Order: sequence, then C-alpha cells, then structure tokens
Amino acid sequence: MLGLSLVGPGLFLVPQAQAAGDRALGEYLSTTCVSCHRPDGQSAEGIPSIIGWPSDQFVAVLKAYRDKTREHQIMNSLTSSLSDADMDALAEYFGSLSRK
Amino acid sequence: MSINRRQVIRGGVGFGALALAAPAVIGQAKPRAVVIGGGPGGATAAKYIAKDSQGAIDVVLVEPTREFTTCFHSNLYLGGYRDFASITHGYDKLVPYGVRLNHQLANTIDRDKKEVVLADGSRLPYDRLVVSPGIDLKYDSVPGWGQEFEETMPHAWKAGPQTQLLKRRLDAVPDGGLIVMVAPPNPYRCPPGPYERASMMLHVLKSTGRTKAKIIIVDPKENFSKQALFQEGWEKYYPGMIEWIGPKIHDGIKSVDPKTNTVVTGFETYKDAALVNVIPAQTAGKIALNAGLANQTGFCPINPENMKSAQDANIFILGDACIAGDMPKSAFSANSQAKVAAMMVRGDLTGARTFPARYANTCWSLIETDDAVKVGGAYEPKDGKIAAASTFISQTGETADVRKQTQAENMAWYSAFVTDVFA
Ligand SMILES: Cc1cc2nc3c(=O)[nH]c(=O)nc-3n(C[C@H](O)[C@H](O)[C@H](O)COP(=O)(O)OP(=O)(O)OC[C@H]3O[C@@H](n4cnc5c(N)ncnc54)[C@H](O)[C@@H]3O)c2cc1C
Repeated sequence: MLGLSLVGPGLFLVPQAQAAGDRALGEYLSTTCVSCHRPDGQSAEGIPSIIGWPSDQFVAVLKAYRDKTREHQIMNSLTSSLSDADMDALAEYFGSLSRK
Repeated sequence: MSINRRQVIRGGVGFGALALAAPAVIGQAKPRAVVIGGGPGGATAAKYIAKDSQGAIDVVLVEPTREFTTCFHSNLYLGGYRDFASITHGYDKLVPYGVRLNHQLANTIDRDKKEVVLADGSRLPYDRLVVSPGIDLKYDSVPGWGQEFEETMPHAWKAGPQTQLLKRRLDAVPDGGLIVMVAPPNPYRCPPGPYERASMMLHVLKSTGRTKAKIIIVDPKENFSKQALFQEGWEKYYPGMIEWIGPKIHDGIKSVDPKTNTVVTGFETYKDAALVNVIPAQTAGKIALNAGLANQTGFCPINPENMKSAQDANIFILGDACIAGDMPKSAFSANSQAKVAAMMVRGDLTGARTFPARYANTCWSLIETDDAVKVGGAYEPKDGKIAAASTFISQTGETADVRKQTQAENMAWYSAFVTDVFA
C-alpha cells in the first residue's frame, strides 16, 4: 500500500502477526475512538492512550470488550457492532501511529 | 503531532483513494465545500474534510465568532470546577489543515445557485454545503418572557456572556433565596443539561453555606434524562434543597414576570425569586429554517446513511439542527455526525472511499464532586432513521469509586474532544 512507502521519521510500524487490516476502514472507524482517545498518544487519567499497540493485543482487548469478559459500559457498547475485520482495521490504523 | 508528519501519514490514504475513483465534480479547479457554523458539528466537519482531502477540496468555515465557548462543561464552570478560559477555544489551529476561516454570519442559502450569501453581501459558491448552526431559542414559548428579558431571566442555553451572567446571579443568591428553573420541552439541546445545571447550582449553594436556598424546577415534561440518577444524587447530597415539579402537579407554566421575578404555574405562583433561569423551547438555527431545510417540528430531516438533508442532496445538516433519530442533541453527537458527513463529502467530491455510517454518543453529568454519571450508545441507520444499536446508562447505587472514575473520564473526554474539534 502506498501509505507504507510514505513512512516518515518518527513513525514506526508494528510487526504484523497476521494479515494487516484495511487501513482506510480503520482510519474511518478510528474517528469514533478519537472523540475520547487522543490520537497523539497523550492520555489523561480516565482514558488511556491506544496508539502504537501490537495488533494482536489491540484486537484481543477489543474482543474482550465485545464479549464482555472485560467490562466498561462505553467500550462494551461501541464494540458490540464491530466485526473481526473492523477490529483488524482499527488495530492496523492505531498501531501505525506513534506518540508525539 | 506535527502537521508535516500528519500529512505524511494521511497522504498514503488520501492519494490512494483519489486514484481509485473519478471525482464527481469535473471541469473545475477544485471542488468547494462550505461549512456554516463553527460548533462541534461544523468545526469537526471542516477539519476532517480539509485534513483527509489533503488540499483536494477547498474548505471554508463560516462562523461569526472568533472564539467559541462550549456549552458542554459550562455547567462545570457554573459549579466552580472550571474557569471560563478553559471552556473557550479559537479556530486558528484549523488553518494548517487547509480550513479557510470566514468570520461572519451567513445570511441566506441560495440553494438554486448553490451559493451562501454572507452578511457583507458577498457570495460563497459551494459544491457541497454543511449546515451546523445549532439551535435558536423560541423566545415566545414562555409567556411573559422574551429576548428583551434574557438579562433579567437568563437562559444560558447558548454559552458565552449568558453563562457568565448566570454564574454572577447564582453567586448573589442569598441563603434562603429561591431559584426557579423553567425547563424546556422536548426536543432540546442536551437532555440532561438542565438537571446537571441544577446539581451544579446546588453544589455552589451548599459549599458556600447557603443550605436554606432552594431550587424549584418547573418542567413541561413528564420525565427527564437520567432522572433516577439525578434524584438519587439530590436526595443524597442536597436534601430539602430542590424540588422537581412535573406537569401533572404544576398544571402548566402559565407565565413569568421579569419585573417581579415571578413564575406562575397552574398550581402555584413563585414570587420574588432571587434567580429565574428560563430555558425556552428550541428550533434549528434560523438559517436552516429560512433555507427551507426544516419540517413542521422546527428541525431538519436528514438521510441517516450520510447526514444529507432530506430536501437537498447537496446539503448536509449536523448536530442540534438536525433530526437525528435516537441520538440526543449533544456535542458528542454533532461531532460523530460530522465525521460521517466529512467522509461522504469527500466521497462525493473526490471519489474517496466511503464506508457505512456509524455513530456514537456519550453524555457525562456531574452531580457533586467526584460523583458523575453517564448515558450513551452506538447508533446506525435503520428503517429510515438513526437508530440505537446498543445503549447504556450508569446505575443507581454505584460505588463512589465508579462515580469518581466516571468523572475522571468526563474530564479526559473534554480535553480529547476539544482537541478533536478545534485543534
Ligand atoms: C448547559 C449545557 C450543557 C451541555 N453539556 C453537554 C455535554 O456535557 N456533552 C455534550 O456532548 N453536549 C453538551 N451540550 C450540548 C452541546 O453544547 C450542543 O449539542 C452542541 O454545541 C451542538 O453543536 P452544533 O455544532 O450543532 O451547534 P453549536 O455548538 O450551537 O454551534 C453552532 C455554531 O454556528 C454558528 N452559527 C449559527 N448560525 C450561523 C449563521 N447563520 N452563519 C454562520 N454561523 C452561524 C454559531 O455562532 C455557533 O458557533 C450541552 C449544552 C448545554 C446548553
């Protein structure tokens, strides 16, 4: 993908265990997340940073919210309508961002 | 994050998408998007269209004020938890994304010519127009009240000087003084807002030793947002200091008299109030009404798949002005809708990839220090409206830890959110 060849200094890529998610879909879906989670990696007490995570961990956490083994009202609600492909896409997108 | 780096990151997506499909607007240097209103709906839309189109779309944001004071967290300002500067934001940080600012009022929309006519008479042509003017107040909805009395009986339902006035008036309420809030009928901006406001007033009165002061809420509604949570909190923290009176009891809000600070209901007359806060009925911002975008409800029907006006496929309507189905009129909703609209504008104008619309909302309310509650959900287009796919609400009887955590989340949300909208 063209995006990968445009990687600039400071941007690191997380090694992908499985096939990469659809980054454009991930970028669109991410717009919901960034209403609360800052995409620059800054975090305040109460809402953690979600960028630069290894993709398998990112997906595992989202799945735990979706099947409610991990509880948080907002996250349980938002993940309830995410497919596995949506989660891969989000992992791909947020995984490619680094802290500023 | 520096702009350069952001451009590098986005560039991959933007250029890739551009190559995929032919632009809808051909034979013109650059397609033009105009956005009316720089609140959470309009500012978010302008930013995302500009940022993600990488200069391929000319974006103008029309907003008369240079600084925007957020209604959200204005109740926390009232409660003394925030200062005024912390809820006020400029637009300058949108410029590096490619947003051109035009600080004046849009007077009319010429839908036939696809032009916005500005206050100075100049015209802004558009290929796609985003309309997010918020609400206008129905000054005639409370008999006896009107725009000329908004200094005597403030509404503070549009943030700014009104918010500061309300705080000064609250601070002047004597111990034993009476506050009457006239609550608005549905639909209105921020369903839990009046009740969070009452909670913050109570916090101020109590923490300054004015526990003999009292708030009466006269409400035209049978019930209200987060009712059980607010009433539990009022009972716990402010016993005897607040009374909520619904229509079955007050039998109608008959009139107010700003000269004597009186509120007359069918059941009782409240005289010599130290403060009357009138929150009137509301409509979509006038510009949307004048452009024929609203229906008989005073708000604007939209296509839930893309936020386009049901009347005009070149126009998108966001936020408080639109009829968003199950979504409440909130800043969070406006911001969520703006992201769908921005994607669809890019799809229309540059052929960028679009995905099925998804929406989200959460509204936090503070009841007392370290005790906040929340309500929200995820939403999707269904059966011709934006429908709730899953919803949640805080529970009564939650532990102090949970409530404290919810308030921490509320504060962290505000900081991330205003960054998302204005920076
Ligand atoms: C007390 C209170 C508390 C609230 N708390 C919360 C909360 O905690 N969370 C939450 O999510 N929401 C909250 N809200 C609701 C939130 O403030 C609104 O839902 C939100 O501001 C709506 O955004 P908008 O973009 O639709 O309109 P607005 O924010 O009203 O922005 C509209 C903008 O358009 C401009 N405009 C209007 N007409 C024109 C024109 N003709 N030409 C050019 N510009 C024009 C106006 O100047 C304004 O800047 C609260 C509201 C209140 C009153």
